[in-house]
Parts: sequence; C-alpha cells; structure tokens
Amino acid sequence: MRNWIERSSVLLAALMALPALADTPAQILDNLTREARSQQASFSPSAGRGEQFYQAKQTGGGEAESCAACHTRDAKAAGQHVRTHKNIEPLAPVANRERFSDPAKVEKWFRRNCKEVLGRTCTPQEKADFAAYVISIR
Amino acid sequence: MGVTWKNSGILILGLILAIFWIAAGQADDIGSLPMPRDKLYVEECGACHTAYAPGFLPARSWVRMMGELERHFGEDASLDEPQSLAIQRYLTDLAADSQNGTPFMRRLAASVPARAAPQRITETWFFAYMHDEVPASFWTRKKIGTKANCIACHPRANAGSYAEREVSIPPP
Repeated sequence: MRNWIERSSVLLAALMALPALADTPAQILDNLTREARSQQASFSPSAGRGEQFYQAKQTGGGEAESCAACHTRDAKAAGQHVRTHKNIEPLAPVANRERFSDPAKVEKWFRRNCKEVLGRTCTPQEKADFAAYVISIR
Repeated sequence: MGVTWKNSGILILGLILAIFWIAAGQADDIGSLPMPRDKLYVEECGACHTAYAPGFLPARSWVRMMGELERHFGEDASLDEPQSLAIQRYLTDLAADSQNGTPFMRRLAASVPARAAPQRITETWFFAYMHDEVPASFWTRKKIGTKANCIACHPRANAGSYAEREVSIPPP
C-alpha cells in the first residue's frame, strides 16, 4: 500500500512538473513586460513599435543589419543566416510552435542577435515590443 | 567434378568472407564520421551552421576555436562555461587525430602540418580533393552561398554522413 502511494505521488509530481517545461508565448511576453515595467512603470508593449524595430536597418552591429536580414521581412517565412546561409526555421510562433516556448532560449538569442545586429544588448522595452510583434503575427 | 559438399562448402565460406570484407570496408567509408551523442552539439553549433563532424579537424584546431568563441568568424558565439567545456570535450574526443579516428580521419590528421591549427575545414586538402568536380557557379547558388554550408548538399551532414549517394544539389 505504501509503495502504491509513493509511486502515485511520484507520478503526480511528474505530471505537475510538465506544464513548467514549456511556456506559452503569452507567458514569455508577460515576463518580458514585467521586466520592462520594473524600469519604466508606464510601459506597455506595442506590436507596432516591435515591427519597426524588427524591420529597421541598424548600424553598429555585424554583417546582419536588421532582424529581417536573417529572419526575412515576413517572420512567418523560413529565413537564412546571412553569413553561413544555413536555413532558419520561421520565427513567428504561428508558423513554428517551438518559438517563444523556452525562456532560456529566448534570452540566449536576444543576447546573441542584439549584439550582432545592434552591437549592444537590447533594452527590456525593445525585447517586449519585439515579442509582442512576433507573437501578434497571424 | 560435380556439386559436392566440399565444393559448395568452400563456395559458401567464400561468400560469407566476402560479405564480411565488404561490410568492414563500409565502416571505414570516408562518407561517414562519428558524431557526439549528446544533442547539445547539434543544438548549439548546428543552430547557426552545419554541425561539422569533429573528425574534419585535429583536436588543436577545436581547442583554439573553443577558446575564441566570442570572436567566432566575426560573430559572438559564446556559450555558458558548462556547455562550452562539454562541447570542447566532444570535439577533441572525436577529432581527426583522436583515439577514435577512422583511417580516413587519420590520413586527414596526418596531412595537417604539426604547427598548424586550421580553423576552416574548407582549407584542408581533402575538401578541395573531394569537391574538385564542383563548378564554381554552384557555390554561389542562393541555397548554398558558401562552401561552409555542407548541409545544403549533404542532407545528413548533422549526423556525420557525407556519402556521395546522398548528395542533393539545390537548383539555381
């Protein structure tokens, strides 16, 4: 009997842990928004500003001049790395369910790609706007 | 001289030996190189480019590369330390001059001057040798773009497979 209880509690714990493995894009956007608000209380994410940021040509970075340079102007389409020409799966969650499901990956790619495109880290406000735009694409 | 047990026995034995000989030859096929088992390698390195088989370069090349990841061919590809240490170990464990080298990898390792630590696989002798029939115009096709884009024509490159029969060249 004890054994049975132990086993089912382990199973229950495993099931409860499951939803924590994959976040939804909305949860990730919420976290980015919270981070942006901690610096600027009146901030609210804007898909419009995010789109401008996504398409804008930047200076100060590397070979990729904009987010769109690799991810293409249409974030639902597959892109191509400007230097290695490797295929890049679509960025918009509507076209690729793996996007914006793992906060660690989201942070990693913001860190790398902001440095590549802008030559600096992105502000929390830029990240939240960017996420709002990409997630809003239907 | 009819069909006897002795004759057929020798024939069958010969066939079995031939099968083993051919199978052993396949294992050393230059079209296949060992890959790290941990998917971390393909996930991290393969996110931006082909997850090149570690056996294409000697261990000293990989050690140098992993020490310069923040300036990786003009990009910052730095990783967290636990990941970069693990990846460096996978690379050196399966490098051209490692204990796990196939005869092809050993030949490759022997061709690299002892003091050199080449960083580009495309600059090693066998790359030119294996691709000497490829017209220059192919490399600039949109889906290929660079000689470093192995996976454009070798669809199973991320599994270490470069067999000629698998080659599929994207049209212009």
